[in-house]
Amino acid sequence: MKMEEKFEPKIVAFLCKWCSSAGSDLAGVSRLKYPPNVVPITVMCSGSVSPNYIFSAFKKGADGVLVSGCHPGDCHYMKGNYYARRRITLVKELLDFIGIEPQRFHMSWVSAAEGAKFTEIISDFVKELEPLGPQNKLRSNL
Amino acid sequence: MVTLEELKDNCRQILKEGKVKYIIGYKRKNGQYMTVPAFLDRIEEVDHLVWDPSCIYNLVRYLRDEKMRKEKEKEPDTRPVGVIVKGCDSRAVNILIQENYITRDDVYIIGVSCEKSGIVDEKKLTKKFAGKDIRKLDFAGNGKIQVTCGTKNSVVPAEEILADRCIECTIPTPIVFDVLFGEKTDREVPDPFKTIKELESFDTTRKWEFWKEEMDKCIRCYACRSVCPMCYCDECVADSISLAVKPDTTAEEKAHKIRWVEKSPVISENFNYHLIRAMHLAGRCVDCGECDRVCPVDIPLRYLNRKMEKESLDHFGYTAGMEPEKPTLVSCFREDDPEEFIL
Amino acid sequence: MEKVLLKKDLNSWAGKLGSYDIYAPFKSGDVWGYELMENQAEITLDYPNTAIPPKKILFPQREVLFEFEATQEGGMEIREVLPDDTPKIIFGVRSCDARGLAKLGKISQGGIEDVYFTRRRNQTVIAGLACHNPPSPYCFCTSVGGSPHSLEGMDILMTDLGDAYYLESVTEEGVKLMGSAEGIVTDPDDKQKADKEKIHSDSEKKILLDISDMEKINEALSEIFDTGLWDRESLSCLRCGICTFSCPVCHCFDVNDEIIRTHPLKGKRVRTWDNCQFPDFTMHSSGHNPRSDKASRLRQRVMHKFRYFNENCEEFLCTGCGRCIEKCPVGIDIVEVLEKAKTYEK
Ligand code: SF4
Ligand code: SF4
Ligand code: FES
Repeated sequence: MKMEEKFEPKIVAFLCKWCSSAGSDLAGVSRLKYPPNVVPITVMCSGSVSPNYIFSAFKKGADGVLVSGCHPGDCHYMKGNYYARRRITLVKELLDFIGIEPQRFHMSWVSAAEGAKFTEIISDFVKELEPLGPQNKLRSNL
Repeated sequence: MVTLEELKDNCRQILKEGKVKYIIGYKRKNGQYMTVPAFLDRIEEVDHLVWDPSCIYNLVRYLRDEKMRKEKEKEPDTRPVGVIVKGCDSRAVNILIQENYITRDDVYIIGVSCEKSGIVDEKKLTKKFAGKDIRKLDFAGNGKIQVTCGTKNSVVPAEEILADRCIECTIPTPIVFDVLFGEKTDREVPDPFKTIKELESFDTTRKWEFWKEEMDKCIRCYACRSVCPMCYCDECVADSISLAVKPDTTAEEKAHKIRWVEKSPVISENFNYHLIRAMHLAGRCVDCGECDRVCPVDIPLRYLNRKMEKESLDHFGYTAGMEPEKPTLVSCFREDDPEEFIL
Repeated sequence: MEKVLLKKDLNSWAGKLGSYDIYAPFKSGDVWGYELMENQAEITLDYPNTAIPPKKILFPQREVLFEFEATQEGGMEIREVLPDDTPKIIFGVRSCDARGLAKLGKISQGGIEDVYFTRRRNQTVIAGLACHNPPSPYCFCTSVGGSPHSLEGMDILMTDLGDAYYLESVTEEGVKLMGSAEGIVTDPDDKQKADKEKIHSDSEKKILLDISDMEKINEALSEIFDTGLWDRESLSCLRCGICTFSCPVCHCFDVNDEIIRTHPLKGKRVRTWDNCQFPDFTMHSSGHNPRSDKASRLRQRVMHKFRYFNENCEEFLCTGCGRCIEKCPVGIDIVEVLEKAKTYEK
């Protein structure tokens, strides 16, 4: 009898190089355990994440998308994360409006020292996504 | 009320003085009650100018053509172009100025106030007057529109035939102009975001079902983008012009070029196009409703933009096109912008 | 073959055509289109005309031509994709649109055969519908060699007699299809024949638009290539794709590779509708665009339809359905442009 395969959600995480990506590295070197479901994409700053990237990630089959940057006031480029915050607010509302489960898209502030926070965010994200099953709404149907 | 004769006189005057290169306005569509855009460069042509509830177009769209034309000319005529704008259209001009696409000196703005009325939704009109020979529409003042069918006039409350956007419009008077016709009117709108209320109240599944069906219809004619005064990008992510494909471009090379949106009109690509467009219009859309009007398959595009407008207002207190000297919605921030949603 | 089918029997006829995919007009919201009838009981032919012509069934907006996949040896495996060959019937096609399909048929045979189109066309029976009243005030089929009851491109022409349809077979396929209605159709009586004739001749008189001197249009157009007419007439053009996408004969396409996977490479080569009114239609890889302004694009649309095609094939690439006039969001009217072209003083 074939065991039913457990759904392993795939998360695309856009992490700013200076904080969040460093934070995820810290989680790694500190041997903190977090689910292996993340495809990390390092970007220069959360402010450089175009909504295009987010929609594309969903189109390419992401079950969830995370945008993560430095805490307010800590952005390496001073203001990038403030811009990101505005933009992401709108993306979030838009996705919700067209009927994408709000649990599928998150933004977080993770500093280079917050390996533990990163671990927690990912674990929670995975737990949220599991009951939803695969994201097929925006997935490419070419 | 706007007096057409005064409007015409002004147009004749500025053409005569050579103050403007030409005037973008409205004229009757060949023997019909609806209008088409008119480009008036001779004084005699002003005779054909029309201002009535059939003036549906947002003529600000044509400032883009003017700019492109000017860029090609060796010795361009740098005089401003006259453009007739309604309340919503005037905010579109403001945004073009705000974004440094044009300067205030590039346009001579002839404002007309919609006052308590607005422009019609042709579908509502022809439904209401089905089988009747509609000849002419007129503003009848005080939120009424006169519809002439054959030789009979009937005066109806404007909201019965107005475009949805006009029913929800709170700024019917141009906010930027060189001359203004009609009264500055404040309008109490009980619920300016009524259109999207119902949809917002749906659960996730129903919302998705709704949009999936709508997006499935899109034929990617790009009329929505083409008619939009804000869609002035030379290269749109929905196009592939930026990707030069030469005879010696290999399959591998092509495969690695980023194409955000494929040309195929399938649901995923249609969504991608419309989501990108909605995002790019956030804080820029003035709800002139043109995309919604032109869509040949009746996709309610206005809903997407209206949603973005509502969120811009709710979260950031921002209304598009009000203050051209200030930064645009997404090119600024406040330190205390809401962030409850951030983990 | 000529038969009469009671209207109430239309759906029982369709019920006998189980081996076919049946397409019929269908209204969603305010917009009519052709829909595959899963439920054949729903066929109704009481409609004006569809927003998008039936060309989209035979020449779909997206067509996968072949699929490719990199092999381990470093080569490329290519798999041809052909349209499925389920036989199809399209009910209710207007005469202008049927002529459109006929023209597309000719084009698909010119030079290299378009196997995708041909294959579908060969599997498709057109059961068209004559117009009583022009479905649009912008119809001008009679000015471009057609009529509201033209047989060109039809396999069967149906004429609405009120409570019945008068069926005329045009091709062998049509005869075959009508054969399947045996038992529910009757032979027309003299009155029905006369009624049908009258409906046909009356319908022609109801067309509102008439372009005179169409035989001189070629000459007229050849003289105004380089004039300001095009600038003037295209001023309000938005450069959208409505006119061409809704045209029953416009057939330009673009070919792209849609990548499914980059390592190892896998994808599809697809053709999608394209159109001469999009600015990037003629964009060269050098960056040069020979038709970079709206004037030259409008000119191309008019010239191709009324001059170039006319010179090559002795017919117009326009069937007078009026869609481009009706649907243009800014009221550009090809008939008006032609009228102006005829009288343009240089
Ligand atoms: S939206 Fe407002 S300003 Fe624009 S046409 Fe309607 S009433 Fe006038
Ligand atoms: S106008 Fe309508 S059909 Fe055309 S691209 Fe826009 S949404 Fe799609
Ligand atoms: S560098 Fe981390 S958010 Fe800008």
